Amino acid sequence: MIARILLRIVAWAVMAYLVLPLVVIVGASLTATSYLAFPPQGLTLDWYGRMLADTSYVAAFGTSTALALAATAGAVLLALPAALAIARYDFPAKRTLLSLLMSPLVLPHVVLGAALLQYCAALGLMRSFAALLVGHVVIVTPFVLRSVLPQLTPEQRALEEASADLGARPFETFLLVVLPQIRGGLTSGAIFAFISSWINVELSIFNTTAELTTIPVKLFNYVQYTIDPVIAAVSSITIAVAAVTIVLLDLTVGLHVLSKRR
Amino acid sequence: MTAALTGDPATVPAAAPPTALRRALPLLAAPVAFFVAFFAVPMVVVLSSSLMAGGAPSLANYARVLLDQYHWDVLAVTFRIAALTTLAVTLLGYPLAYYLVRVVSSNALRRSCVILLLLPLFTSNIVRSFGWMILLGRNGLVNDTLVGIGLLDRPVRFLGTETGIVIGLVYILLPFIVLAVGNALATVDPTLEEASADLGSSPFTTFWTVTFPLCLPGLIAGVIMVFTLAASAYVTPALLSGGKITVFPMLIFQQYSTVFDVHYGGALSITLLVVTLVLVALAGRIGNGGGNRS
Repeated sequence: MIARILLRIVAWAVMAYLVLPLVVIVGASLTATSYLAFPPQGLTLDWYGRMLADTSYVAAFGTSTALALAATAGAVLLALPAALAIARYDFPAKRTLLSLLMSPLVLPHVVLGAALLQYCAALGLMRSFAALLVGHVVIVTPFVLRSVLPQLTPEQRALEEASADLGARPFETFLLVVLPQIRGGLTSGAIFAFISSWINVELSIFNTTAELTTIPVKLFNYVQYTIDPVIAAVSSITIAVAAVTIVLLDLTVGLHVLSKRR
Repeated sequence: MTAALTGDPATVPAAAPPTALRRALPLLAAPVAFFVAFFAVPMVVVLSSSLMAGGAPSLANYARVLLDQYHWDVLAVTFRIAALTTLAVTLLGYPLAYYLVRVVSSNALRRSCVILLLLPLFTSNIVRSFGWMILLGRNGLVNDTLVGIGLLDRPVRFLGTETGIVIGLVYILLPFIVLAVGNALATVDPTLEEASADLGSSPFTTFWTVTFPLCLPGLIAGVIMVFTLAASAYVTPALLSGGKITVFPMLIFQQYSTVFDVHYGGALSITLLVVTLVLVALAGRIGNGGGNRS
């Protein structure tokens, strides 16, 4: 019984610890003082107005969104055929290939970022959108692969063969049989891919410039030198984007985490 | 193995490896080409420049990294922070995962908690570390509270200490371990625990002899992920160190962004990579050992 109560206390303390910094940021973005204050002193939305007036923030939001969308699309286009090949065929060096495609998950992003900076410089792509994009595709592909692979089961394969036997063309089979069955894994993998790209700093920072920058990199460079409520306002917007994404995710595909029924 | 599982050999003519490869190739061409071009080759470029000094092959860059006590000190700080973070994350995350999966009976409450758990995960490291910069400052909420309730006589410095960095990293990495352990717990068949209770085990014994071993693979996977992320973290230490503490990823960043010495920087990158992968492999080995025993 005592263990139960203790568990409850620890769990709620940890939940509070998880929420506290986010509450602090949103609170500090509303302060009327010119420095960061929490609890906020006075209430104002001025800092949000100032953020919107600064076109560089708007541009950085645009770059981040375009990059995350393109990287997710790229990851799906690479991970889907790879997953199909790995699930269906027993070719030589399959494990090596899978390790290659999954290794960006454990590779320090700083190392990969540095490698891509040097490599893209040699290709004449240094600090360009293309350089950012290829790096992001590499780090987010494992998320899609990891969530699609378990859904390509023998039962799924059997349905696919039935479809072919009944005369469907491979493309029709893919669209009408395979895709609906792996939709859940594909969606959650794609969302994790999008988010990982959207919040990335360690990889992006090597290939961004003052003009071409993503929102987290811009925040990072700014926070190191100046701290004012504008930063808290920009941060609050990103928290809001995250909150909306999660709730939408829960309402559409459903967050199948930590639930007993799977 | 997969072909064997796919069913009746008559319907799966792709059993012979050469045929399998021929069929897999069109699907694999694009992903493999992309990963070779933008992942494998760049890493080989880093490796080869780390092995060049003054235009000739040499181990001088590694000598420079490994013979300098300073680098060992920075490595020690980096991996000490990573180890402490992993330990704290496990001790805090495990009870929360257990609570959410096994104790919370209301689905609505669990869903709200899951949303709150994912929210930090979906928010940039910068934003999250920035929250801690506000909280841990000299006159921040944490110091004010601790002084206010009389636990401290005067404010303590958190920013610029290893403690501050660990607090920030624990915060960032906590959701990973809760999800890893929680998902493992959710797949444990509750009837096994009931059987253990029916046979007279106390809840405590049941936990340590049934539940804990069954979720160990999930815990190990989470621990490995947290450890590698903590050891390779750049943003959080950079923001919370206040320039007073150096971790290894900062050295790499300096070499590439300001000095642009790809040879020395390459040697630093490969060193971090090798140390991390060796530690992950060791953890995986220990984990597998534990898995086999259970």
